[in-house]
Amino acid sequence: MNEENLSILSLILNASVLVQMVMGILLIASVVSWVMIVQRSLFLGAAQRGFREFEDTFWSGIDLNNLYHDLTAQAKEDGGGDGIENVFRAGFREFNRLAQTDKADPDAVMEGTDRAMRVALSREDEKLSTNLPFLASVASVSPYIGLFGTVWGIMNSFRGLAMVQQATLATVAPGISEALIATAMGLFAAIPAVIAYNRYAAQVEVINGNYETFADEFSSILHRQVHSR
Amino acid sequence: MKDLTSYSAGILCSTVIHVAVVAALLINWAPESKKVMVQPKYIEAKLVELAPKKKPVAKKPAKPTVDAAKKKREQDKRRAADRKKAEAKRLATLKEKQRKEREEKEKRQREAAEQRKRIEAELEQAFAEEQAQINAREDEQVANSYMQMIRQRLTDNWNRPPSARRDMETLIEIRLVPTGRIVGVNVLQSSGDQAFDRSVEQAAFKAEQFEELQQLETRLFEKHFRTVKVAFSPEDLRL
Repeated sequence: MNEENLSILSLILNASVLVQMVMGILLIASVVSWVMIVQRSLFLGAAQRGFREFEDTFWSGIDLNNLYHDLTAQAKEDGGGDGIENVFRAGFREFNRLAQTDKADPDAVMEGTDRAMRVALSREDEKLSTNLPFLASVASVSPYIGLFGTVWGIMNSFRGLAMVQQATLATVAPGISEALIATAMGLFAAIPAVIAYNRYAAQVEVINGNYETFADEFSSILHRQVHSR
Repeated sequence: MKDLTSYSAGILCSTVIHVAVVAALLINWAPESKKVMVQPKYIEAKLVELAPKKKPVAKKPAKPTVDAAKKKREQDKRRAADRKKAEAKRLATLKEKQRKEREEKEKRQREAAEQRKRIEAELEQAFAEEQAQINAREDEQVANSYMQMIRQRLTDNWNRPPSARRDMETLIEIRLVPTGRIVGVNVLQSSGDQAFDRSVEQAAFKAEQFEELQQLETRLFEKHFRTVKVAFSPEDLRL
């Protein structure tokens, strides 16, 4: 109680167990959310770059069969391809299979191809938005957790205040100070998470839109092919 | 594979960011908890040097040379002898006088030196006394501030029983060791209410140790804090 050393470290070390737990949770949340932020940033960047490159090669007039074989070989090497290539491969594979069967109905072929691409698209969507729910939870929950720690700490320090006769500011100030650290940590964890979530959600939207546009275009090419036979 | 590398990059970045933030906080949050102890005000007294003024030593007058005149004539001789005698006498008296004067002067000088020494000694003594007084006052002030601290701490730790009344007073004696730890508590003068006395004793035991006393000089501690007497009375109660 006496000999106050108000460095932030001693404040944290002297805090009550519950407040320390809250701080620990917030620290972990912050660390993990930063891991997610960096990972997502790299992943989405790579996805966008990959899409641009693929579009360039796709519209360069390359033979689709060759492209398909190249991409399949590459995917086997990498152990599962990424992004828009998967959509293309799924659609093309399904189209070839259906088209090779005898007396294939063009509409049925197109239907099958579209379905296969839809599945691939939804898989890609899933991949793009992994971890984003976690960021959203950290963003919305960690201020409350911090607030809880603060309220608890202030509650305790006021309880302590009630027990002493000569109540001075110095008897409650350290308690309140230590309690407020919890809120600060909550905000520290929440702010980057909010920003990252908003940014990445928008980015995922854009990439998904790109994928869908491509899928439609590809589908129209295949449609032309299947009906021109 | 790709996922793994991007995750490890994320982990690295996150760790670096958090370590940097924590380090910045720990460095910038230098605790500003300098203990403010009462700084006693005192007037600086300086001993003014009483430089002994050197009196220029009087030069001894040169001995008048005796004119030795030789006259052929007896009369002249006698006269000369007379003159000589008179001269010698005069010289002797002169010498005597000079000697006396010198002696007197020396005596005066000795006396003056003695007096100066006496004055200096007196001044020194006065200065020492004053210094001692200042020291004592300073000590008193420091002791008082520590005493105040002890009293405050005891009062903070004091839980008054419901039976406490305003006119009660308990005088306790606390025995301390130089680390500031309380090694014993005696009730010197009971208030008449056992619960009240006990609460006072409890307050002292709860205070346990006054670490600030470690900063105190041993001399001061021995003088003022070996045993401390504190009176407790609930002055703020309206009962």
